[in-house]
Amino acid sequence: MKRPSPANTVEMLSIFDRSVELIRWTLGSYYQLTEVEAAGAEEDLRAWFHRLVRRGTSPPSPQLLEVALVSAACQYGRSLQLWKLHGQPSRDENLNTLLARQPDDVARDIRQRFDSERK
Amino acid sequence: MSGRVIRFPKHSLSLQQAEQAAEHILSQPQEERVRRKRSLQMEDPETLLAVCSAIRGRLMSDPSWARDEAEFFFQFIDKPRRDIGLFDERHYFLGELALLAGAACRQLSRREEAWIWFDRSEAGFRHTINAAADLSRLAYQRLAERLEERQFDVVLELLPSLVESFRTLGMAEDALKARFLEGMAFLETDEPTRAAEVFSEIADDPEANENPRLRAAAYTNLTHVYGMVGDAEAAIAASARAIPVFRQLNDRIGLAKVQWGLASVLRESGQIPPAIEAYRQAQQQFEDLGMRADVAALNLVLADLLLDQGQNNEALREISAALPVIDELKMAPEGMAALSLLRESALRQQVNRAALRELHGYFPQPDA
Repeated sequence: MKRPSPANTVEMLSIFDRSVELIRWTLGSYYQLTEVEAAGAEEDLRAWFHRLVRRGTSPPSPQLLEVALVSAACQYGRSLQLWKLHGQPSRDENLNTLLARQPDDVARDIRQRFDSERK
Repeated sequence: MSGRVIRFPKHSLSLQQAEQAAEHILSQPQEERVRRKRSLQMEDPETLLAVCSAIRGRLMSDPSWARDEAEFFFQFIDKPRRDIGLFDERHYFLGELALLAGAACRQLSRREEAWIWFDRSEAGFRHTINAAADLSRLAYQRLAERLEERQFDVVLELLPSLVESFRTLGMAEDALKARFLEGMAFLETDEPTRAAEVFSEIADDPEANENPRLRAAAYTNLTHVYGMVGDAEAAIAASARAIPVFRQLNDRIGLAKVQWGLASVLRESGQIPPAIEAYRQAQQQFEDLGMRADVAALNLVLADLLLDQGQNNEALREISAALPVIDELKMAPEGMAALSLLRESALRQQVNRAALRELHGYFPQPDA
């Protein structure tokens, strides 16, 4: 099995750790998950991400991995909220608008906003 | 995309546990596995990742096994539908297993089946989060199949875009691997100098330091190129750099291809009896691997040499062994006329030499 080299492992973990703040922001501020739900999501995302980097024959670039991670966080937040709402609309109109959008679309906006705020 | 997004806390297997689980599953008879799927942890994504890696690792040493195992796990996930892992993981595994099955079919010259597996792979990869990278790996396999079907113009047209995609995606190893197709297309279109340049660049690329199999494959192809142009010394030197690596990796396909290259060197230098012996050894190695197309191609090469030696009956036997396989595997779509001529001449017990040479000219040299 392809084992990541120690250097790759450190780099891989650092990508996730660098993105943790963004993931929490996405799940909490955008998709309005509770702290407990967001913590569980983070744990699942970490496990998934560690497998993502071991797919195929060579790992994708760090930039691609970052994009994939935010998309996955949006997918997670949306699915969990839809499940909690049992198919009913939320009383929060902003959340309904967000849930109507594709997770990849939202992920793109979030990254742009996060990058500009970071600058 | 599908997959679990609601948490069900579950102990995750470590890398080592997953490897052991995969090894254990693969040692069990297939009919036993589904019944024991829970205890074998067959639905665990870590296990499946290790299974894919194990299949990929044996693609070049046992393609028949790789095909059968990839098909088994594909069907296990596909029907009845099983939810595997998180997010896109079910789709990823379907795409990856189909890609592995298709790649194995390509090695085995099961062309129609390879195309079906590539279509299945695309159906899975279209839904993955990292679809661009996955679909690019699939595009490589499709182009490699087109090369085997002698669509060299298509390969040379589409290859630069694929190499660029790999580079943009940061997949340096895949970018280098794709360049083999360029070298092979030059070799098959009678441009050995350009082919040698490409294979030398691959062998010297710093990325090849990370992947000895790629470098050894480049030297295998250089063995063939130098053999074809009659530079025996350079061909033997190139083969000497490939063989130890393939032995260490137990890459039996690689070793058989080097053997084929060395046989060609002997033929080009006029050492016909040793060349026949060397071709027969290569043929036996392909036979052991179940690579019938390569066995049949070598039957024709051997027939040509045996005719040179005046061994007409032996040559007829080689041709008779090859013809049904060539028909069955549809190996020479461009050489149908030559195939008919050869078949008729074989029936008359008088081999049509021109048809024979034209036909085995249609079979690609062993690629990387």
